[in-house]
Amino acid sequence: MRIVSYVLKRLAYLVPVLLGVTLLVFIISHAIPGDPARMMAGQKASREAVENLRRSMGLDRPLYEQYLRYLAGLVQGDLGFSIRNQRPVLEDMRDFFPATLELTLASMLLCVTVGVPLGILSAVRRNRPIDHLSRIFSVFGVSMPVFWLGLMLLLLFYRHLGWLPGSGRLDIGIDPPAFVTGIYLLDSLLAGSLGTFRNALAHILLPAFCLSYVYLAIITRIVRSSMIAVMGLDFITTARANGIAEIVIISKHCLKNALIPTVTITGLSIGELLGGAILTETIFNWPGMGKYVVDSVNFLDFPAIMGFTLVVSFAYVLINLAVDVVYAFLDPQIRY
Amino acid sequence: MKTMTMRWAVGILFAVLAAAVPGLAADKETLVVGVSSDVHTLDPAVSSDNYDWRQIYPAYDRLVKYKVVNGEGSTEVEPMAAESWTVSPDSLVWTFKIRKGIKFDDGTPLDAKAVTFSFERVLKIGKGPADNIGAIKTVEAVDDTTVKITLKSAFGPFLQTLATDAASIVNPAVMKHEKNGDLAQAWLAQNMDGSGPFKMTEWSRGERFVLSAKDNYWGAKPALKRVIIRFMRESSDQRMALESGDIDIAEGILIDQIPALEKNPNIVVRRFPSQLVEYVYINCQNPKLQNKLVRQALNTAVDYPGIITHVLRGNGVQMRGPVPKGMWGHKADVFQFQRNVAKGKELLKQAGAEKLDLTLIYSERRPSWEQIAAILQSNFADIGVNLKLELMANPTLREKVDRGDFELCLGAWSPDYADPSMFMNFWFDSNNFGLPGNRSRYKNEQVDGLVRKALALSDVAQRVALYNQAQEIIMQDAPYILLYQTQTIVPMRAWVKGYVYNPMLESMYNFESISKQ
Repeated sequence: MRIVSYVLKRLAYLVPVLLGVTLLVFIISHAIPGDPARMMAGQKASREAVENLRRSMGLDRPLYEQYLRYLAGLVQGDLGFSIRNQRPVLEDMRDFFPATLELTLASMLLCVTVGVPLGILSAVRRNRPIDHLSRIFSVFGVSMPVFWLGLMLLLLFYRHLGWLPGSGRLDIGIDPPAFVTGIYLLDSLLAGSLGTFRNALAHILLPAFCLSYVYLAIITRIVRSSMIAVMGLDFITTARANGIAEIVIISKHCLKNALIPTVTITGLSIGELLGGAILTETIFNWPGMGKYVVDSVNFLDFPAIMGFTLVVSFAYVLINLAVDVVYAFLDPQIRY
Repeated sequence: MKTMTMRWAVGILFAVLAAAVPGLAADKETLVVGVSSDVHTLDPAVSSDNYDWRQIYPAYDRLVKYKVVNGEGSTEVEPMAAESWTVSPDSLVWTFKIRKGIKFDDGTPLDAKAVTFSFERVLKIGKGPADNIGAIKTVEAVDDTTVKITLKSAFGPFLQTLATDAASIVNPAVMKHEKNGDLAQAWLAQNMDGSGPFKMTEWSRGERFVLSAKDNYWGAKPALKRVIIRFMRESSDQRMALESGDIDIAEGILIDQIPALEKNPNIVVRRFPSQLVEYVYINCQNPKLQNKLVRQALNTAVDYPGIITHVLRGNGVQMRGPVPKGMWGHKADVFQFQRNVAKGKELLKQAGAEKLDLTLIYSERRPSWEQIAAILQSNFADIGVNLKLELMANPTLREKVDRGDFELCLGAWSPDYADPSMFMNFWFDSNNFGLPGNRSRYKNEQVDGLVRKALALSDVAQRVALYNQAQEIIMQDAPYILLYQTQTIVPMRAWVKGYVYNPMLESMYNFESISKQ
């Protein structure tokens, strides 16, 4: 029960956090010199056209009034109206967020399924060839520029070998599945279209790998070092002395204790990735939040910038909360 | 053993995935265009962006359209939804006869009422496109097939403005989607309701936009059934897709990648002289730059051929006068600045402005600007001008230009309709200070008089004479550094036929007459 009240308390904190975020982003984005009405009106627009636009978007109102209006809308679940796309920001989010979520989940899946076993293997076979290889792999991952890696992957697998498709979420000629979640892998299965599913899967492989590589490398290193630390502790020696099988010691006793830093890193990475991986999205032409927000900033689309920041901060806070809850399960000593 | 299983698994995975990839190359009825910018709004009364017009333009009819002469786009117009027209002797009243039998998708006829509705809607909304047809005072439906348009004052390029995206004829029935008196803006931002040869069938934001040909279009039937506009921001991504045959036309390939493409026998790289010009605004109101000798000196310092050869790789020509080549009113014998360091120094000495410190602002809007700024810095140093470079975000730069808070600034300009006023009046009329056009804040009463008089006339010869006179004065006053006129480069698969480039329709395509063979 304690954990429930803890979660509720943390959720209540969300309100001041998000309020703070809106205020900060509002101030910062309005401090940028530039005029969104001018941007929207076009290169050569007359002053009259710009003023008409400014009025119709409410940009002629005093700043505090604009902010209060925004908050009033927010309470009713209205994230505002995008200046650039001329439609509610919520609809933009509906279109762009699922692509980012899909890519994030796919890369996290890769991180965890490859990174954790590789880290364990390195720890168990410490200073043996497999450990060295995994170290090289990790150093490569942390230091490789994503931009270059993405291009090289495309050049090799798409242009030269022709094994995998090029950029985008689906082949150019394939119609997207009917919108349910916006996650193509899921929606295509729900629509019973195996061909689209396979195509979406083929398309996500390279960007997911490219995006996960950095985090994969970090996770491998962290699992390795925390495994080594745990393996040297007394309770493991005791377990060994009791004749417990090595595989049980590793998987049950060491891993569970070594997972706490891994969970922290994974949580933080998901939060970071949900904000959109701008470079990966650009190279693989992935229509996600990263590209959306860069365009919005270039266009001074204030409501879109605010909406984006709110959604990402919301997700970030929730993920942090989830990570804290997972701690309690991993380590019985942690109590809330 | 384990490794073997692993290898098999990977092999099978690739085989399964690869098998799922069909090609579009064989599909002769679908054209795929790779473009670098997404679409934002589809309302012809709201959008001022060529990248939006690319989708909007083929979905609507207009009263007139640009003529195609010998497979090339021209700046003259011919009838489209209007069968014919007459104009009053004072050039103020234009009467158009509408073609009978054109219908919107829901059966509503395209008649005089539809034209009146569309033009009034654009003007009432009053956003960017309203400037394009801003010469109109009133529009009146005389009967079902006759529209009478009265202008505020005689306006030479009026017919040309009717071929712009702003003059698209919208189905009056869109008003059923009106909300809070918005004249259906919210609905038209995401939908189309025109009588053009194509209609939107899908728009996956950030991914692709699909236009489908209408079977019952009143004009010639398009050879293509479907056009897919695929958003691909990266130049290298577009290049790979073009080389693989996944896209037919690539719009955003950087100049340095073009030579490699030209070696590919399946790809044709087409070049067209565009009306897009790049230039430097010299703030004539700034105390350091008020003296025309200083401005002439700056113009004399620039290595024009060097910029064209090294930055544009030859894809451009130095401007001669403000009206670009290919636009009527271009004056082929007007004075042109050439690099002459000694003369530049001499001019500065005469002006008493030796050891001048100036700042050039520019944005990342064009990839070439970084290099050009560096070349200008070195060129100016040769005549003793110390140039500071300041890179800034585009919205910030535009704000500064509008307020006149700069000394020198790199910019680009392309005309919206085929008329020299797009240069002569926009750039030099002192009523247009700031972003609307006169970005150098140049004021010369004689020039003001000449260009204003030229705009109100409809006789081409008279207008040319007035503009020529103005150009002579302007080249002496040197309010801009006229760098170059660019070439538009369009790489496409060799099987694409019938593509027509029109400099007035930058980034817009004649999908209705393109085919794949």
